[in-house]
Amino acid sequence: MEAGALSDPVLRVRRNLTDRIGDPLLRGLSGLAAALAVAVIAGIAYEVVHLAWPAITKFGVGFVTTNDWNPVTERYGAAPFIYGTAVTSAIALLFAAPLSIAISIYLTELAPSRVRRPVATLVDMLAAIPSVILGLWGILVLGPFMHDTIEPALNSVLGFLPIFSGDPSAFGYLTAALILTIMTTPIITSVTREVFETVPGDLKEGSYALGATRWEMIRQVVLPYSRAGIVGATILGLGRAIGEAIAVAQVIGGATGINVSLFHTGSTMAAQIAAQFQGAPGALQKPSLAYLGLILLVFAVIVNVVARLIVQRGTLKDTDMTVTEAGAL
Amino acid sequence: MTRRLLIVGVALALSIGVIACGSSSSDSGSGSSNSPLVGAGSTLVAPLMSKWQSDYASRSEETVTYGAIGSGGGIDQIISRSVDFGASDAPLTPEQLEEANGVEQIPWALSGTVPAYNVSGAPSNLKLDGEILSRIYLGTITQWDDPVIAQLNPGVSLPSTKITPVYRSDGSGDTYAFTNYLSTVSPEFKAQVGTSTTVKFPTGVGAEKNDGVAAAISQTDGAIGYVGLAYALSNELSMPLVENLAAKFPKPGVKSVEAAAKAVTKIGPNNEISLADLPASAKNAYPISTYTYVIVPLESEKAEALKKFITYAIGPGQEYGPDLDFAPLPKQVVAADKKAIAKIGG
Repeated sequence: MEAGALSDPVLRVRRNLTDRIGDPLLRGLSGLAAALAVAVIAGIAYEVVHLAWPAITKFGVGFVTTNDWNPVTERYGAAPFIYGTAVTSAIALLFAAPLSIAISIYLTELAPSRVRRPVATLVDMLAAIPSVILGLWGILVLGPFMHDTIEPALNSVLGFLPIFSGDPSAFGYLTAALILTIMTTPIITSVTREVFETVPGDLKEGSYALGATRWEMIRQVVLPYSRAGIVGATILGLGRAIGEAIAVAQVIGGATGINVSLFHTGSTMAAQIAAQFQGAPGALQKPSLAYLGLILLVFAVIVNVVARLIVQRGTLKDTDMTVTEAGAL
Repeated sequence: MTRRLLIVGVALALSIGVIACGSSSSDSGSGSSNSPLVGAGSTLVAPLMSKWQSDYASRSEETVTYGAIGSGGGIDQIISRSVDFGASDAPLTPEQLEEANGVEQIPWALSGTVPAYNVSGAPSNLKLDGEILSRIYLGTITQWDDPVIAQLNPGVSLPSTKITPVYRSDGSGDTYAFTNYLSTVSPEFKAQVGTSTTVKFPTGVGAEKNDGVAAAISQTDGAIGYVGLAYALSNELSMPLVENLAAKFPKPGVKSVEAAAKAVTKIGPNNEISLADLPASAKNAYPISTYTYVIVPLESEKAEALKKFITYAIGPGQEYGPDLDFAPLPKQVVAADKKAIAKIGG
């Protein structure tokens, strides 16, 4: 059929013509699209630096370590927000990563096929909840629950640790971290689930054939095979946690200091920008917020690069391992 | 076959696009003679503004659109001239005034910022004064049964609940009015915190917007916060009675805000009027009253339309105030406003 069409001289001429136009056209258009993406990133970086310039020249690198944010005295520093971002994201991942791996193992290996689909869909739908709604839920439901139940319990058992000391509060680092856990779990789950599904069936069968239990098979085949994917998924979740602004701003309590207690109010870089950028009155407040944005941008780039490196190295190592494993099997 | 379909499809899409472009450009061409006034800013004035919009449209057949994006946003937008007028509860700072380059600031509505609290076991209408409020927000009064509070409320049993001060974490005209009041009554507060639309409170919980503050108060036993008067009244929050300089405890409302405005006759540069420093003679004056301002460029294509609308707002528009918990402007302010309006458009 195809050969017959090409043997027709008229069609062949037309095909040649479209080929000649089509290739450069494709190259031109897709090149333009790629250039546009690069231009957008460069443009954003330029704008942020441009906007932040008064704060950069005034505060310099010391901005990063200054623990103050006072619009009245016009003294600004990023330390409280870098700390808040690091603490909330770390706790969120500490909860979300194991939870997501457990959900993915259940969905790919253990659950009866009848429940797999509905549960997977529901987990995915968690990601579709608008963050402002999740933040409201945090204010009205999760916050009071933390204040009345969780935090007093943590305090009575582990109160000797500084991070669980102090008065319970509905707003604070811990409440924000739990909201971020809910936001990152569906992202990490959907990626790890897909990674688990790519584990070759013969490796799993082989493991069973050697007498492995289901747990041994998961521990010795599924998890090692998917290591790079799991790390990649977690970093993806980290990106989400670092950048989330609205829901965090709603529940973290907007305090501008560093507090060791996780019950205490604080703020993150993204939340501070979202809360105060609109109509910041001080001459240096807006530049300082842009400076925060610049630090956030640098954070995001570092996270991305690290993730790529880990995934790249992990993939190489894993393929080596699976090849030898496959050989052994 | 499929390629031909594709070509027809692309051609169709292109022609629709051309038609759409053509029609939209002709729309904007014909609309320019009577384009609406566009404003943005204060959320406090928004309920009154929506009343003004519909009433003004029926009187003059001219439309006004307004975006309630917050006072700070309104100032930003008028500085960049992306709107025809801005609205703000906080007067322009000297830097903003300079940056705005030729604008007139006109007080056009009058309201208040009120504290609200949630303490189980305490009665409504607790009495507080500026000193107590400032010390609560400085973190030096930490329990509801503090002797200073008990002394002001004899015979009232107060729980030992911890006080959680709640403040606005976003830039807000309410924060300006509240910190302006606290800085006036307490030199200590002025030195440690100061007055602005965002300040650094040494203690407490920050929440976003009026509804975030209200939610934080209602969810936390022992919380106290501050919100716009209209917001507090319509949501039936329990409000303390705050002592004024006449040592009286007026009920927060249109009447007491009006009394405060009548007591202050001094109009500052750029029509800035602070109601924080009330004379002791004003017995019924609510101590945390505040003007909210419209900010207009002195020179613009729509100068005439702006003058007309603001003249309406400070005149017939004031009638709708009391129903929406806004107090009417005092005569001397209306007179000053009229002088300011005359400056618009050269």
